[in-house]
Amino acid sequence: MSTDKPEPLDTGHDYDGIHELDNRLPNWWLFTLFGAIVFGAGYWFYYHAFEGRGLLVDLRAEEAEQARKAAASAPVTDELLVKLSHDPKTMTGAKSLFITTCAICHGADGEGKIGPNLTDDNWIHGNKPSDIYKTVSGGVASKGMPSWEPALGHEKVTWLAAYVESLRGKHLAGKAPEGEKL
Amino acid sequence: MPPGPTPDRLWTIRTDGSRRKLHPADVRGRFIRARRWVFALLMLIALALPIVHIGGHPAMQLDIAARRFYLFGAVFNATDAWIGVFVLGAVAAMLLFVTAWKGRVWCGWACPQTVFLEGAYRRIERLIDGPGEKRLRDDLAPLSARKAMRRIVKHTLFVAVSFVIAHSTVAYFMSFPVLFADIQEGPAAHGDAFVWAMVMTAILYFNFAWFREQLCIVICPYGRMQSVLVDGGSTVVGYDVTRGEPRGKVGSTTGDCVDCNRCVAVCPTGIDIRAGLQMECIACSQCIDACDEIMDKLQRPRGLVRYDSQRNFVGGEHRSRARLWVYGLLFAIAVGGGIFATSHRANVEARLLRTRGAPWIVENGWVRNQYELHVTNKRALTTTYRITPLAPPGARIIQSVATVELAPLASARITIIVSVPQDSRQFDLGVAVDGPGLHETATARFLTPSMR
Repeated sequence: MSTDKPEPLDTGHDYDGIHELDNRLPNWWLFTLFGAIVFGAGYWFYYHAFEGRGLLVDLRAEEAEQARKAAASAPVTDELLVKLSHDPKTMTGAKSLFITTCAICHGADGEGKIGPNLTDDNWIHGNKPSDIYKTVSGGVASKGMPSWEPALGHEKVTWLAAYVESLRGKHLAGKAPEGEKL
Repeated sequence: MPPGPTPDRLWTIRTDGSRRKLHPADVRGRFIRARRWVFALLMLIALALPIVHIGGHPAMQLDIAARRFYLFGAVFNATDAWIGVFVLGAVAAMLLFVTAWKGRVWCGWACPQTVFLEGAYRRIERLIDGPGEKRLRDDLAPLSARKAMRRIVKHTLFVAVSFVIAHSTVAYFMSFPVLFADIQEGPAAHGDAFVWAMVMTAILYFNFAWFREQLCIVICPYGRMQSVLVDGGSTVVGYDVTRGEPRGKVGSTTGDCVDCNRCVAVCPTGIDIRAGLQMECIACSQCIDACDEIMDKLQRPRGLVRYDSQRNFVGGEHRSRARLWVYGLLFAIAVGGGIFATSHRANVEARLLRTRGAPWIVENGWVRNQYELHVTNKRALTTTYRITPLAPPGARIIQSVATVELAPLASARITIIVSVPQDSRQFDLGVAVDGPGLHETATARFLTPSMR
C-alpha cells in the first residue's frame, strides 16, 4: 500500500450532506504558523518585556527633542524684531510676502488703503515692535484685520512684523493718519 | 491503478504534509496556442504601462508621495478618490458577471499568477530542464554536476525575471525615468525604493519558483467562492461523464475515456478533472487540449473534456438565469456612473471662504466683507485662471490679483474684499473662476448689519 493511499479522513461530521475531512495541514503552512508564534514571542520580549530599545525609549527621545525645539525658538522681543528689520535677506523675503498678503489693504509700500497707513507716526494698537507683532499675529477682528499666525505660521508673521517696523518714519503720502501720534 | 488525485485531499500535499512538486506535461492544441499569445500580450502591457508616457506622464502611475494618479494622460487628485467607488463597483460586478457567465476564465487566461508562471517561469524551466516527465525524474535523481549546473542556471534566470517584474511594479509608483535615475545613483541614496525592489524580487522569486499553484489553492479567495459564483449554467472546464464512462482501454468498454491520464498529467494544479468541478481548477483548459489530442488519435470526436455548462454535461434543459441580468445591470450602473463622474469632474476646484474675524466692518457709510478664494488647478497642464467677483452694481471690489497661473494640482489663495453701501441687504456673493473651457463659481454669504 502506497503512503499516498488515503487514510480514513472522514471525521463523521455531516452538514447537509457536506462531510468534514481531516487532512493533514501542509508543512509549509504549519511553518508559517509556528514561525508567527516564535516571532510574536520575540516581538513581545523586544518591545514590551525588556524596554531596552523599545517604543517607550523612542517616545522619551522624541519628547526630549520636542522640548529642545521649544526652548530653541526664542520669544519675540523688540530687539529681535529691530535686528531682523535691518537684515537685508529677511527683508527681501518679507517684502514679497507683504505684497502678496498685506498690500491689498495697506498698499504696496504701506501707504494705507482700506487699512491704515503704516509709514506715518500715528498708531492705533501701539508702536513698539512687539505691539506690531501682536497685531499681525492675532489680528483685530473688529476692524477686519485677520489673525495671520494660523495662516502663515510663527516665522512668517515675525518677518512681517519686522518689515512693518522697517517702514517706520517713511511718511509716504497715503491714507490720512489714524490713532494716536506716538 | 497508480494512486492519483482525488477530490478528498490536496494532491500537491502528501499525507505526511510535505509538498508534492508538480511538473505538468507538455500540451499542444488550440487553447494553449491562443493562451501563449494572450500571455505575451498581457506581459507586454504590464511592463509597458509605466514606461510609455502619455502627456508627459506614465500611462499609469500612482504617485503616492504627491497623492496623484495618472491614467492615459488624465490626472486624478486625492480629492477624486471617490470615483474609485465606481471603479471598485465595476470590478466587483464584472467579477460576478464573468464568473456566472464564463466561469474562472480570469484564472486561466489573465491572472498575473498564471500569466507570468505559464508565460515566463515555466517556459524557462521547460527550456532548461526539459519536458514534465523528465523534470519529475530529475527531481528524484541524485545531485550530479550537470543537475547542479542546470539548477544554478535556472534559478539565476528566475531571479533575473523576478528582478525585472519587481522593478516594473515599483515603476508603477515612481515612473520609469525616475526609477532608472535612482538606480544609477545607487542604493545608498534611495534606500526605500531599493528595499522595495529587493523585497518584491524576493517575494516574486519565492512565489514563481516554489510556491506556484499553492497561491491559487490556499491563498486566493476567488477559487474558494467558486461554488457560490457559478451555477449549473456557467461555462466551466468539465468532463462529459455520460460519454466518457465507463472508462477503460480501447475496445474493452463503451465509454470514450481510455483512462490515459493525460488530463491529469498536464494539470497545473494537480487535479483529475474527471472527478468534476473542483475548487483547485483554474480553468486553464490544458486538459481540454490534452484530451482533444488523444481523441484525434483515436478518431473519436473532440470535446470529451470541454468548455461547457454543468447542466449541458448532464443533458439538462436550458434555463434563463436572472443573475446574469442583475450582475450585468450592476456592472452597467457602475461603469455608467464612473463615466459620468469622470466626464463631469471639475478640472478646477474653487471655494470661497469668509476671512476669520468680524462678519462685517462698517466705515464711512460702507459695509465691508473680506473673503479668501481657494483655487486648485486639477488639470495636468499649467493653466491661467481669471477671477471675477460677481458683486451687485455699485459695489466696490478689491482683489489681490485678477488672474492666477497655477501649475498642475497647485493651489492659490486670493484675497477679495467687497464693500457695499451701509443700508444694503445681505446677498450671496459669487466669484467666477474661468479657464480654457472651464467655468466654476464659488459662493459665500455677504453679511451686513441690516439682517434682512
